[in-house]
Amino acid sequence: MLREYGGKPLVEWLVLLLGVVIFLVGLVFVAGGAELALLGGSLYYLLCGLVLLASGTAMLMGRTLGALLYLAALAYTWAWSVWEVGFSPVDLLPRAFGPTLLGLPVLFSIPVLRRMATRRAIGGIC
Amino acid sequence: MRRYRFLAMGMAAAWLCLPVSSHAQFAAAGSGGPPGASIPGPGRADEPAEQAPADPGYFAGPSPYAPQAPGVNAANLPDIGSVAADSLPAMLPQAGAAPAPGDWATYGRDDAQTRYSPLAQITPENVSHLQVAFTYHTGSYPRPGQTNKWAAETTPIKVGDGLYMCSAQNDIMKLDPATGKEIWRRNLGEKYEAIPYTAACKGVTYFTSSQVPQGQPCHNRILEGTLDMRLVAVDAATGEFCPGFGHGGQVNLMQGMGESVPGFVAMTVPPTVVNGVVVVNHQVLDGQRRWAPSGVVRGYDAESGRFVWAWDVKHPDDHDQPTGNRHYSRGTPNSWAAMTGDDALGLVYVPTGNAAGDYFSGYRSAAENAVSTSIVALDVRTGSPRWVFQTVHKDVWDYDMGSQVTMMDMPGTDGQTVPAIIVPTKRGQTFVLDRRTGQSILPVEERPAPAGDVAGDTRAPTQPWSVGMPSLHMPDLREQDMWGMSPIDQLYCRIKFRRAHYVGEFTPPSLDRPWIMYPGNNGGSDWGSMAYDPQTGILIANWNASPMYAQLITRSKADVLKLMPIDDPHYHPGAGAAEGNGPMEGTPYAITIAPFWDPFTRMLCHKPPYGMITAIDMKHGQKVLWQHPLGTARANGPWGLPTGLPWEIGTPNNGGAVVTAGGLVFIGAATDNLIRAIDERTGRVLWSHVLPGGGQANPMTYEVNGRQYVAIMAGGHHFMMTPVTDQLVVFALPQAAR
Repeated sequence: MLREYGGKPLVEWLVLLLGVVIFLVGLVFVAGGAELALLGGSLYYLLCGLVLLASGTAMLMGRTLGALLYLAALAYTWAWSVWEVGFSPVDLLPRAFGPTLLGLPVLFSIPVLRRMATRRAIGGIC
Repeated sequence: MRRYRFLAMGMAAAWLCLPVSSHAQFAAAGSGGPPGASIPGPGRADEPAEQAPADPGYFAGPSPYAPQAPGVNAANLPDIGSVAADSLPAMLPQAGAAPAPGDWATYGRDDAQTRYSPLAQITPENVSHLQVAFTYHTGSYPRPGQTNKWAAETTPIKVGDGLYMCSAQNDIMKLDPATGKEIWRRNLGEKYEAIPYTAACKGVTYFTSSQVPQGQPCHNRILEGTLDMRLVAVDAATGEFCPGFGHGGQVNLMQGMGESVPGFVAMTVPPTVVNGVVVVNHQVLDGQRRWAPSGVVRGYDAESGRFVWAWDVKHPDDHDQPTGNRHYSRGTPNSWAAMTGDDALGLVYVPTGNAAGDYFSGYRSAAENAVSTSIVALDVRTGSPRWVFQTVHKDVWDYDMGSQVTMMDMPGTDGQTVPAIIVPTKRGQTFVLDRRTGQSILPVEERPAPAGDVAGDTRAPTQPWSVGMPSLHMPDLREQDMWGMSPIDQLYCRIKFRRAHYVGEFTPPSLDRPWIMYPGNNGGSDWGSMAYDPQTGILIANWNASPMYAQLITRSKADVLKLMPIDDPHYHPGAGAAEGNGPMEGTPYAITIAPFWDPFTRMLCHKPPYGMITAIDMKHGQKVLWQHPLGTARANGPWGLPTGLPWEIGTPNNGGAVVTAGGLVFIGAATDNLIRAIDERTGRVLWSHVLPGGGQANPMTYEVNGRQYVAIMAGGHHFMMTPVTDQLVVFALPQAAR
């Protein structure tokens, strides 16, 4: 039996924490990416940051969409990385390694988010 | 004068550690525009005022005519007299002219400074059996309460029955080359305060006297230039001071230098003896003031220590010592690298830096501009340049010449060989010159360079490129070359890159925003110089790709940062140092400068490799035989943490290579604290060994009792953040493997 805090299972708190992390990364991406774009640099960070903000927000609302948006951002990250530097491991390291690593807990969050959604649908108050 | 470099990086999975950036250090200067009142008019720009201003103000340093501070004449020596070059006795053939096969007679083994040894006991087949034969402790390392300014950078010499070397603070010793047992030691009592940017002693010089008969004390002597500016001669057999040299074996090199304080001026390279004249140069601390002590190069009689000539850039026709209250002209280009002597042509090849106040050239004279960042061939009879070859015009990037040049015979067009020198540079452009004339043997192109927009300081319209040699630098930086552990540090570095002005290698200094210097003053070839195998014609070069991030700032901003020159009474050692921020007092601007890195993780902003090693075939069209990154990530990582990874990522490196007839290249240099043996033909790393400290020194090899040894000073380097030790580590093959 899962331990519960404030009426939520621990895994749900962890998913919310994941949402906070993704939201904060999104904030950094949007703030830094906006400056970079103004300086004539890559638009990736700004665009990806907006998706991450949406992903984090949705996850904090307990919506499965949050996880899916993160996976979309990850796919965008890989596509952009390969477009920019090909398959060179040294160059992929800073671009794709961390986001992919973060993608693992996001995958595991999907069933939790679904359970949260189901509970909401049943009419529970979350 | 310096050498430096920082650590590098590695990889780690810690991408969630977000470097939240603070850009304060590189923020725009704010109060832009030239501080008009502090710019001297044309009539005052060439020489400092004879007297200090009536109101010295908070930041005015001492007058150049002020007495030297206590300790500047470290041994309180009387002035030395002069002797005419014509009356010098003929020099005996020296050990470096044709070293015995088992000897390493000069800093670069021979007078040509090839760093090539004919020893062949250690080969690619048996090198894996190398083991430590002995370790020797010099006794010089930072004591409690002392700032770590150590980087011994020492290369011993081996002549006959002795291994001669110096500690980082200039104590001289003779070791038994077979056992490492100390035979004698001459302590010089050097003070900690005398250490300039770095406590280094790259080596000592062996000299055989024609005036003292064989068998008498000081027939063979060890000469050394010290951090506290003494020229010292001791007997090679006993270590006793040579009584017939200078005053009791010592000469005060601060004579005629004018106002100075300990640590401002220092000598870190072995003096060079050419036709009986011992030539000395010295470093002057970078970035302090426009009218820093002189960069004068001087010749002394190797027999008596008496003064022979001076080469003072602004007084080209006056080769005498200054008398009375006069001094050598201030602020002139200094030469801190090891020089190369050419007895046959009577020349000494002097690698020069730029004039003081490194990043603003508006107040430099035409005479200074003509000889800065150049190789200057001085006639050792007169002290006058016979030719000059300039590698950067009006240098404001601190591309001072760090490498010792190597003499070689270059294949000519008509089947004859041309007496040549190889001139490495921090730019990664390597020039090959006819050493009789200074003319380039390989094609050199003058290519257009960008103009600057700093008031009162114009840039040279063109810069020289050695298109006949492989270039030892990476392509220009692009935004997508930014690196990091995570997308967030990469984003930080991309912003930092885009904030800066960067239009390639000769991006001019700027006041309104930072600019990037790449290769920069830690790039290309540095004091490790190059190793040349005259048998195979293979040239071994290790080099760096480490950009710098800099910005000119106004005087008022410098005041806020408390940037003051070292000889200012209000000098604050933490505010600025050589290699770092500098006041450039006496010019309109100060400089902020740091590696182009993420200051949070202390990883360089661009992607590796940061250090490379290249083999060039000089006999068949200067082709690259092999080239690969030098240095693993084992001892490097974010926040200076070792990753333990054997990945040959290519780290910053300092210290050169040795090449042997056995077909091996020995080199430490990288920040992974390894010494390694590389196959000269293929570039493959065949053996490596973890040193007790950083291997930031040129290794050497010698033979005694039929056994070949390889020695390297594992002294580390403070700026490269490698462990500092006082240990010389010497390797040899066990009996069974020979």
